[in-house]
Amino acid sequence: MKLSGRTRRRITALLVAEALASLTSLIAFAGDVKLIANPTVKSDTITPAEIKRIFLLEGNSLDDGTRVEPVLKRSGSTHEMFLKKFLGTNGDALQAYYGTQVFTGKGSMPKQLGSDAEIVTYVAKRKGAIGYVSEDAATEGVKTLVVATTGSGVQRKLISRIEPEYPETLDRLNIGGTVRLQITIAAKGNVEKVELLGGNPILAEAAISAVRQWVYSPGSGRTTTEVIIPFSPRH
Amino acid sequence: MGRRIFSLAFFCACFCTGEVTVLAQEFKLLGREVQIHGFASQGFIYTNDNNWLTMNTSQGSAAFTDMGLNMSSQITDKFRAGAQVYDRNLGQLGQYHPSLDWAFADYRFRTWLGIRGGKVKTTLGLFNDTQDLDFLHTFALLPQGIYPADLRDTSIAHTGGDIYGDIALHRHLGTLSFTAYAGHRSDSIYSGYAYLLTDFFVYFRSLEGLQYGGDLRWKTPLPGLLVGASRLNGEITGKGKYINLFDPTAGLVPYQISSKAEWTNQYYGEYAVRKWRFDAEYRRYFRDEPYADSLDSIDLRAWYLAGAYRICKRLEAGSYYSRYTVRNVFSGTLALVEPNETDTSLPQNHIYDKVITARVDLNRFWNVKIEGHFMDGYGDATYPDGFYPQVNPEGFKPNTNALVLKTSFHF
Repeated sequence: MKLSGRTRRRITALLVAEALASLTSLIAFAGDVKLIANPTVKSDTITPAEIKRIFLLEGNSLDDGTRVEPVLKRSGSTHEMFLKKFLGTNGDALQAYYGTQVFTGKGSMPKQLGSDAEIVTYVAKRKGAIGYVSEDAATEGVKTLVVATTGSGVQRKLISRIEPEYPETLDRLNIGGTVRLQITIAAKGNVEKVELLGGNPILAEAAISAVRQWVYSPGSGRTTTEVIIPFSPRH
Repeated sequence: MGRRIFSLAFFCACFCTGEVTVLAQEFKLLGREVQIHGFASQGFIYTNDNNWLTMNTSQGSAAFTDMGLNMSSQITDKFRAGAQVYDRNLGQLGQYHPSLDWAFADYRFRTWLGIRGGKVKTTLGLFNDTQDLDFLHTFALLPQGIYPADLRDTSIAHTGGDIYGDIALHRHLGTLSFTAYAGHRSDSIYSGYAYLLTDFFVYFRSLEGLQYGGDLRWKTPLPGLLVGASRLNGEITGKGKYINLFDPTAGLVPYQISSKAEWTNQYYGEYAVRKWRFDAEYRRYFRDEPYADSLDSIDLRAWYLAGAYRICKRLEAGSYYSRYTVRNVFSGTLALVEPNETDTSLPQNHIYDKVITARVDLNRFWNVKIEGHFMDGYGDATYPDGFYPQVNPEGFKPNTNALVLKTSFHF
């Protein structure tokens, strides 16, 4: 059987996409956690310092003043990954910490749910709720927050965010992933330079193309920021 | 009897409420979410020789119960309020007299600045404010030289105010947390100090005074490493009655004591990495107590080094070594009848405790601990340290081994 040139190209593309997907899953890094928020949360980005503050009950609002409420998973690899990456602790130590807060009157026990689906449902319904789920979890009804770390120590506010277009082939194959980028923001607020730090190259292409159009608040100089963009298949 | 019934009802309420609130421990009140949490623990101690912690432990004693129930609410973004009731029985102490453990309002202006007012648990060292929350600790009994179960009341809380905050240091140098406080302490007359003095025919009706101090702790850039220092200044005035041994026919006559100086310094460090956790603390407590023309100076020094390892999800093992020494110096007329006790190598002036423990977490809310204590010395001073002459009428033996079993539940 002779395949047409078009069919051959299609098959090749699919094989390449699959190979890339497996490669991505092999080199998955510890940032494979998606931060999600109720749509009432104004900001599209969140910094590690904000995450730490909110989940350690040291404050209950983001830097822009939005009141938020943390929602955690009870256990599991996503939970441990989140704790290690953003809070620098583990599940036992965190429970002891929350216990100390609750039984000395210094804090309330945050909501803790069993699965990604429960967290997404709760966050979707609860005003100001912020939680985390595994990167491949369906996130209907919630917004995904970009975790931004500012290399220069200055936080720039994201004013205009363009969502990346999901590459059709990967979407059809139900392949998701996370892309890590380092971006340089000019004083005026436009994205001047984008560098790929990790992730599926096909997803990265879409992410880079979108991020180049982002606009941040003006600053006194150039700043660098790390952004993490999760891609969840829509089908 | 009435108190026991009340406590039993309270205990049952905690458990029953727990069963329900493990699933739903929140409710709405005037549009605000209110959380209810509680805990209860029950212990058993058996010792080979001396009776310990005012219990008849040489026969095996289960007079080792405590429980608490709290209610709190985050009323606005920055304002929260709550209260906790606490009740316990430890041998001759506590005797199921419930007390208000803490009850305060808290306003946090910024992450780096907040204030609390009311009855507030005192921040002192790693575990002062959580020493009675068994489920938070690996050990059934924390190092008694620093966190004496029989003297819980002396430092657990103050009625007054705290200023506190967390300051994120630049250049990723970690976080500094500070607490400064001042208030009034009110010790239970069912605590160890009041009980010890009944051996001297002194019967207190109140033990109270000022308490003020601060705590500074640094969460270092090395994840899991925390170091800190605390200082507590205080004074204590005890009022009651006593029998004057020089004139016993007069019966019970009014009695009052006041401390001249009373302070505690505490330094501590904690390091948690993977499944390991290490804690170390040093405490020095000093107190000068005048009696007519005499002065009784107590100088306690204690330290410990503890390590714990989480073997699997449900099992944790731990061990600590603690050293406690006491010096008792008398001046004035008292010095003529009471010899100074400054040789800390003698068993009456020290307690060295080697401890091993295993903690089994049956589920997220319920644990069981089994612990062995191997103690050298009994620290027989005019300040309590776990070994009381009243429950050891035939005198003390130099060594004590103890088996501690404890279970605790919280929700």
